Amino acid sequence: MTRLFLIDAKWEGKINLTNELKEHLKKKKIKSVALFASIQFTNLNEFIKELEKNKIKVNITKAKRTNEKIQILGCDCYGDSFQEDIIKNSDVVLYIGDGLFHPKALLLSQIKSKEFKPVIIFDPIANQIKEINKKDIEKQIQKKKRNLKMFINSRTIGILVTIKPGQQYFNSAKNLKEKLKEQGKKAYIFIDNNINLSQLENYPFIQCWVNTACPRIGTDDIVNIEKPLINIKEAFNPIKYLEEMEKL
Amino acid sequence: MYKLELDKIIKEIKKRNSKQVLIQLPDGLKNKSNEIIDFIEDKTNTKAFIWFGDCYGACDLPLGLNSLDVDLIIQFGHNRFNKEKW
Repeated sequence: MTRLFLIDAKWEGKINLTNELKEHLKKKKIKSVALFASIQFTNLNEFIKELEKNKIKVNITKAKRTNEKIQILGCDCYGDSFQEDIIKNSDVVLYIGDGLFHPKALLLSQIKSKEFKPVIIFDPIANQIKEINKKDIEKQIQKKKRNLKMFINSRTIGILVTIKPGQQYFNSAKNLKEKLKEQGKKAYIFIDNNINLSQLENYPFIQCWVNTACPRIGTDDIVNIEKPLINIKEAFNPIKYLEEMEKL
Repeated sequence: MYKLELDKIIKEIKKRNSKQVLIQLPDGLKNKSNEIIDFIEDKTNTKAFIWFGDCYGACDLPLGLNSLDVDLIIQFGHNRFNKEKW
């Protein structure tokens, strides 16, 4: 049996509340933050104390898939991805780390929220501050709505399954196929190691695709493909999901 | 048109009493995958699935299907080959 050994690769530097970040928060009149970080940057005890000294309330939670509080993964991109909805109760989301993949998950998780909170990204390595908000995922939101509508009206569905153990939802795919059959839809299950979306064009008889692998395929990659694709999470109840999105 | 020999497939599935079958096709035949699955599901109680990706030859077999309890792979468009010894 193959065993797995994981290394966090924590960043060795000290994460301080810099004057620039302090000023940025002050200028925006921030009184509370929902704090998240990628695993390299979750040693934030001192940083939290500094924020609190500056009268900023720090809300933290654990994303359901992660191992540590504060940590966020790219797949924590749904409103119910967290133990507590701290974003709703904070003025802004503060993300510590680099790149956009993780902080975008924090925007995507608010897709059904009435009040959209921006995400301030503090990169302690480059010592840079960047802010992203709803307009940065607007394309994804519009495409997602369009795809849900197309899924509802499709009769022939392709369900994508990966063999990768961490993303494998073979049984859910089979359950979905049965459910769709009850609704008069015909579904086919496709299996692969990597979900390479350029393969979609080889199956022109499929009207809409359902992805059961990484949920970011159904949020980010959809903007680059013409064929509609939704995630399995939405596929079991697409009308309810669409209605919740349309309310905004 | 290509001969898909669907009756031969059904015989093989029944002979092996396969519970879960995966079909794998080269790009030019992928558009036939729905017809093949429909035929298998119509003629047997076997659950049948489609390999989504590449199928460059008999050397290009999917790995890791044990984890899904797939007991038979049916690959189209290629025949048995002899692996060269290095």
